[in-house]
Formats: sequence, C-alpha cells, structure tokens
Amino acid sequence: MTQLNITHVVVISLTAVFLLVALDRAGQLRGPQPTYTPPAAPAAAAPVAQIDPDKGKPPPHNDTVVDLPDGKGREVTFYTCTACHGVALIKAQGLTRDLWDSTFDLMLERHKMAPVKPEERAEILDYLAEQFPPRRKGRGGDNPFLK
Amino acid sequence: MRRSETWKASRRNVLKGAGVAAAGVSLLPAGIALAQGTAPSAAKGPKLLEMEGKAKLIVLGDKPLNAETPAEMTDDDVTPTDKFFIRNNGLVPDAPADAKAWKIKIDGEVDKPMDITLGNLMSRFPNVSYKMMLECGGNGRSFFSPEARGNQWTNGGAGCAEWTGVRLADVLKAAGVKPSAVYTGHYGADPHLSGDTSKPSISRGVPIAKAMEPHTLIVFKMNGKDLPLIHGGPVRLIVPGWAGSSSTKWLTRIWVRDKQHDGPGMGGFSYRLAKTPIVPGSKGDEKDTVILEAMPVRAVISFPADGAKLASKKLDLRGHAWAGENEVKTVDISTDYGVTWKPAKVDAPPNKYAWQRFTASVDLPSAGYYEVWAKATDSKGVTQPFVAGNWNPQGYGGNPINRIRVLIAS
Repeated sequence: MTQLNITHVVVISLTAVFLLVALDRAGQLRGPQPTYTPPAAPAAAAPVAQIDPDKGKPPPHNDTVVDLPDGKGREVTFYTCTACHGVALIKAQGLTRDLWDSTFDLMLERHKMAPVKPEERAEILDYLAEQFPPRRKGRGGDNPFLK
Repeated sequence: MRRSETWKASRRNVLKGAGVAAAGVSLLPAGIALAQGTAPSAAKGPKLLEMEGKAKLIVLGDKPLNAETPAEMTDDDVTPTDKFFIRNNGLVPDAPADAKAWKIKIDGEVDKPMDITLGNLMSRFPNVSYKMMLECGGNGRSFFSPEARGNQWTNGGAGCAEWTGVRLADVLKAAGVKPSAVYTGHYGADPHLSGDTSKPSISRGVPIAKAMEPHTLIVFKMNGKDLPLIHGGPVRLIVPGWAGSSSTKWLTRIWVRDKQHDGPGMGGFSYRLAKTPIVPGSKGDEKDTVILEAMPVRAVISFPADGAKLASKKLDLRGHAWAGENEVKTVDISTDYGVTWKPAKVDAPPNKYAWQRFTASVDLPSAGYYEVWAKATDSKGVTQPFVAGNWNPQGYGGNPINRIRVLIAS
C-alpha cells in the first residue's frame, strides 16, 4: 500500500482547488474582480468633448441679384449692399432720394461700408430712389413742406 | 382652459376669413410662384422663420436675422422663449465651448477693474429673477408715414420673459464706481456684418443711474433655462423698459465712462428722436436730437387676431400693455373709431417693468366689419397718439393706438 505523504496531499488539495475555481462559473468563490474598461479613445476622436460653434445660430442666408427688381443699377446696388446685409432690408424701405443719400452716409460712417466711387454712388442712388420710393400715402407722403 | 379653447376657435375663424387682410400668411418660401387660381392673399404673406427652437415668427430680414412676434402670438402671460422676437445688429458669434469660462471685463471709472468669468459672477453675487419687457427701440416703426429708415417692425419687437441674473449694480459696486462715473458703454462679442473685427457692430450704454437701478441685470437664464445663443447667450444685459439696443447680447465688457458713451449706435440719428419737430420725410439735423431712453406707452391686442372672422357679436378681447419706466393705469377700448371709449380691466404687473394683462368684453351692435382700438395710459397720464407722430429719420417712438380688424358673421 502506497503511503500518503505530504506531496500527495498538496497535489490533491491544489487539484481540487483549481477544479472548484474552474467550475465556479457564478464566481461566488472568487473575490471581486476589476471590471473591464476599454482604453480611452484619443481626445481628438471623442465627440463629447467638442461643441459645435454654430449650434443655435440662424440658418445661413444668401440672396442673389434677381432678388432685387430689374432696373439700371441693380448689379452695383446688389454687390455693394449685400456685402453686409440681405436684400430684405433694402426692399423694406421707402425713401426719397435725399433720404437714400443720407442712408448712404449712415452706411459709410456708422456701418463701415467700403468706400464707393462717386459715379457708382449716383447709379445706386438712382436705382434705390426709383425702385423704393415712399409708398405710404396720406399724412406726410405728400407733405407741402417737402416740395 | 377657456382661453385655449377660444384661441383654437379663433385660429379656425382666422383661417376661414381668407378675404380679410393681414391674417393670411404664406407657408411657401419667398420667391416661389403660385399657380393661377390660388387666393392672391396667400402669395402676399410675410416670410416665416424656420429655425430650431423658434416659433414661426415674421422675418423682417435674414441677414442680419430680425424677426417679430405676430400680435396673436403674444397672448401668454410670460413670453415663451420660442415666441420671443429676434433682433441682431451684427453676426451671431460662435457658441462658447465652456459658458462658465466666458469673461466679462468691468473697467473705466472704477477703483478695482475686474475680469470676471460667468461662473464666478453667478456664484459671487445674489441671483434674482424678474419678468421684464425687452423691446426693440424701433418697435412700431412701420406706423410712420412716410416710411422711416430701418426694419419695419409693427408691434412685435417686444416681449416679456422671465430673466435670471445678477444685478449690474452689485457688480459695479464690487468694482467701486468712482464719483467721476457718468455713463456705461456696453460691448458684446457679435462680429460686425462686414466681418471686420476691428470695430464692434454696436456699442450703446445708459446713464449710471439706470445702470445702478436694481432691475438692470446681467442675465444668464431666460424663462428658467440657459440663455439661448440667439438671445445673447451665454450672458447678456437686460436694461428693462429702455430701447433694447442697450441690453447688449453676448456681453464682454462694461466700460464705465466719465462722459456720455460714444460707441457705434449712440450718435447720428441712431436711437435718437428729433428735438425740434421735423417735416416727415425730411433729412433732419443730427445735432438737434435727443437719445431715446425709456420706451413709450403701448397696448397690443393679442386676442382676437387682426383679420379674425367671428361668429358672435359679444367680443371678449385681451392683450398686454406696458409703459417703459412707468406703470399702465388704464386701457380703453373703442369699436367706433374713437368716438366712444370703454375701460378695460388692467391687472397689476407681477413686478416693475413687466407688461400688464388687459381684458374687455364689448357688445357690437350688429354683424359686419369693425375695427377694435386699444389705447393705454400710464401712471403719469401719458397716452398713445392716434397716429405715429414726431417723425424722425430712423423711426423711433412710433406708438399709435393699436387697431385690429374683425368681421362679425351675420
């Protein structure tokens, strides 16, 4: 009869422990294991870190020259004025040539419009005065003091 | 409940009343021709705003974006953010990556100039909330005859939101206002329309007394939520009751001045009224002007809508009235072109600078076409004129009596 020595005891015990641990699929015999965390993606690829600077801005808007009524001076008027603002602002006005003229000064002085050659200014003013004259009649529209 | 039901009923009536002017609005983008046979009124409607987070406001201009609230959309006690009008002078700046790191400089006539982040501002000073009017200086410009220069606002460049922020006075006191301080100069981050970044698109200010008034706020919340970018977020000024241009959006700097501020928008005819009355339609004299400060008294009927076709001769109407620095005392209603007037019920404001609800019930003598007029009078006895008077080249102070047109079915 083979005598049980310490070597046998150790081998049998270790085998039993390994088997138990290997069969312990529920993990109840093991201590808490660290959960797997995937490596952090490089910062540049993380969309959460980025703010869209255009979020909350109005939709982009572009007019074309045909958005203004046809007439002599339409092109130069369009390209001079829409460097800053849309044609809706022009079309909403109804001004005498005198007031269009002071509007031109307002754009140059207050709103920093790029300088315009005198002959171009005259052409633009003719166009604006013809296309967008005062339309509201009644009080003021035919004021005796404006003659 | 009753209010929303009648509101819906009114909407249906408005849609039925195709022949009545001003209520019909085109849902088609501008420039798209309509086939023959379509009601001509549909083609003439204003362009409506298409923007995330915003209602279908009436677009006055796309670049810069300016849009007003139609009167029938102003019926809420507190204007919801989506229905609030939009006014821009320049381009809308980029949304910041970190709103709390946004910096505001306080300098000029102060003992301790400071650069303070929005985050610090929010935690260092008491936060307060008020329901207050914000109104474009040019509100009512379209009532001038002949046309005055600028965006043609009817009455829709105004709203009453709940604003949360810190008192400008608390911040200025912390910086130590010197006795030499006279005026403020406000700067925002909006780039000039031309793209030139060397000069601000607009920079206005107010006398130091108005800056120190406890309702003048540095605001970071609108109706309880973070201030949206389009309304000046993350941080703006609200100088209630005064021309909106001093309520600087995207606030970056308050420069305390030892004289009246002279930034763009302070001179010429900008936000100025003629001192000596001038001939309507004339050029006027820039030197003979006064700065537009508080906005004038105004009543606006929010129900029924202009152009409504109604079934009943009994008309329950309502709206809001406000008066710049003052309180509205009375609102009177006429359905016979001002021959006779009947007082409306006017509610007290929830706080100073809030608009006030008015309601009235009138019995019309017959079916047919009527104009309903509403006229507010303030605590100083100042009322609204029959026509927009004191014509000025850029059309400020236009506050004639509000008029809507209704058709009572027979």
